Amino acid sequence: MNELVTATTRKFTEAILDTDRERALQAVQYAVDQGLMPEDVVFRVVIPTIDRMVRSISENFGASLAQHFITSQIAAEVTEQMIPKFKQRKNVIGHVVIGTSQGDFHGLGKRIVTGCLKAMTIDVTDLGLNVSPQRFVEAAIEGKAQVIGISSMMIHTARGETGCLRVRKILQDAGMEHKIKIIVGGAPYRYDHELYKMVKADAWADNGIEAGEVISKLIREATS
Amino acid sequence: MITGMDRLTAAVNGTTSDRIPVFCNLIDQGAKELGMPLKQYFSKGEYVAEAQLRMREKYGYDNVWSLFYVGKEAELLGCRRIIFAAEGSPNVGEMILKNYDDIHKLQVPDDLTGHPAFEEPLKCLKILRKEVGGRYPICAYVTASMTLPAMLIGMEKWMELFLLGPAEVRDELLTKCSDFFRKEIEAYRAAGADILVYANAFGSTDFIPMNLFRERSLYWMKRDLQPGGTNGLVYYCGGARMNPVIDQVIEQLGITTFYLSPLDDLAEGKKIINGRALTCGVINDIKLIDWSKEEIRTEVKRMLAAGMPGGKFLFGTLVMPYAIPEENIRTMLEAVYETGSQ
Repeated sequence: MNELVTATTRKFTEAILDTDRERALQAVQYAVDQGLMPEDVVFRVVIPTIDRMVRSISENFGASLAQHFITSQIAAEVTEQMIPKFKQRKNVIGHVVIGTSQGDFHGLGKRIVTGCLKAMTIDVTDLGLNVSPQRFVEAAIEGKAQVIGISSMMIHTARGETGCLRVRKILQDAGMEHKIKIIVGGAPYRYDHELYKMVKADAWADNGIEAGEVISKLIREATS
Repeated sequence: MITGMDRLTAAVNGTTSDRIPVFCNLIDQGAKELGMPLKQYFSKGEYVAEAQLRMREKYGYDNVWSLFYVGKEAELLGCRRIIFAAEGSPNVGEMILKNYDDIHKLQVPDDLTGHPAFEEPLKCLKILRKEVGGRYPICAYVTASMTLPAMLIGMEKWMELFLLGPAEVRDELLTKCSDFFRKEIEAYRAAGADILVYANAFGSTDFIPMNLFRERSLYWMKRDLQPGGTNGLVYYCGGARMNPVIDQVIEQLGITTFYLSPLDDLAEGKKIINGRALTCGVINDIKLIDWSKEEIRTEVKRMLAAGMPGGKFLFGTLVMPYAIPEENIRTMLEAVYETGSQ
């Protein structure tokens, strides 16, 4: 069975790097037909592939936005197909609410993050585009989320008073900072790696794939 | 008196002038210059032209812009909702393509110059041409067919259609966007724009893998540029990196100016270009909001040390954020004027 996992992971990764959805799904289907357990598909093929992508990005900047997109979409699709077939109910790692900052209408990064989180069995509430700070916090409290994810494509929506800074203030006033962490992402943060501190977020991620890993850590911090 | 056009011509020809050319892209700052809200500022070509002329005079850099905001192109294709911020670039507030049926119905206007959304940019260009034409390069912004759909259908849906198909719908949209591009660039050239900034995030391997760049980006860029040629064209990936594709762009498209990303290795970019084209070193202007004067000077010196040897070099910015303090703009420009003297 280990050989099947290794072969499937290799085929799945190659297909993703070629942005070939059909080939990636075929690799998974073949493995399932050969008897690979749905749990193994998710935890031994899909999630390690995301991990490998994170490592390749940090080592050589080798993956493009398109590859991140296809990875997240296929990983989420496969995971959602497999979970109903698990022998035991899945353990949800945590819950994240995510959206773009107020005045920002760029949703691609958010979608990539959402796909990865689903594949990592993290529940996600997608609040959509142009989300007010109050809405972020209300949704996080209602859904008992451990993390708020705020995506911004423009510098004025990242730094502005109606973005992360305001979310932080509302959390502070409500005494919720230890229970709910904030992660930010998007183009301005790639051009200024210290910007997340200025907007008072707890963390940032360089891309949607890496965000999954950073959010997992934040969930552990918030629940510890 | 040496003009911006003299400096640019010298750089293109590989000769020297008093200093290297400097392209400082102040767009939204025009509203601040005229003391009016962004929405009012962008309502009239006269305002934009006046602010462009004033700011160039005030700071002494070498170019002026006919660009209002990038979403103008969506307006030319039917978008009626632009969302203006108090202190930042306007956003497209309505995607005109909501489904594939809308793609089939999308019509490229026959005559852009008669389009109401083009009226004010044309007024702006006319004034710029009258006031500084031939002396200071007049820039226009034209989005490539591969990238324009992001403004029409949204980046998420475009990435999905681009990667997952259906291929015939994707190609139908690309063909329409390419037809639009051809008309737009022709209209800007006819109205007096000297520099056509060819914006294509999908021309960078930060966006798509190399195999798709070769298969699709090069094909669609060739189609965009085939009728009008590459005269005055600047290769720009919207701030994404381009070093890995420069060789192919020179060889297959014949483009001779590269507006690098601040994230590109500038010395490496110049080495790849190797005298075959003009290199623009681009400062990370988001950092200009908070950098100290010393940090700005250090960065300018670093960039010029990497870019100036061998000539054929100019200094540039991305689309300068509205929040950059005026004194930081001055510090950057003074540092370039001093270090970049020849």
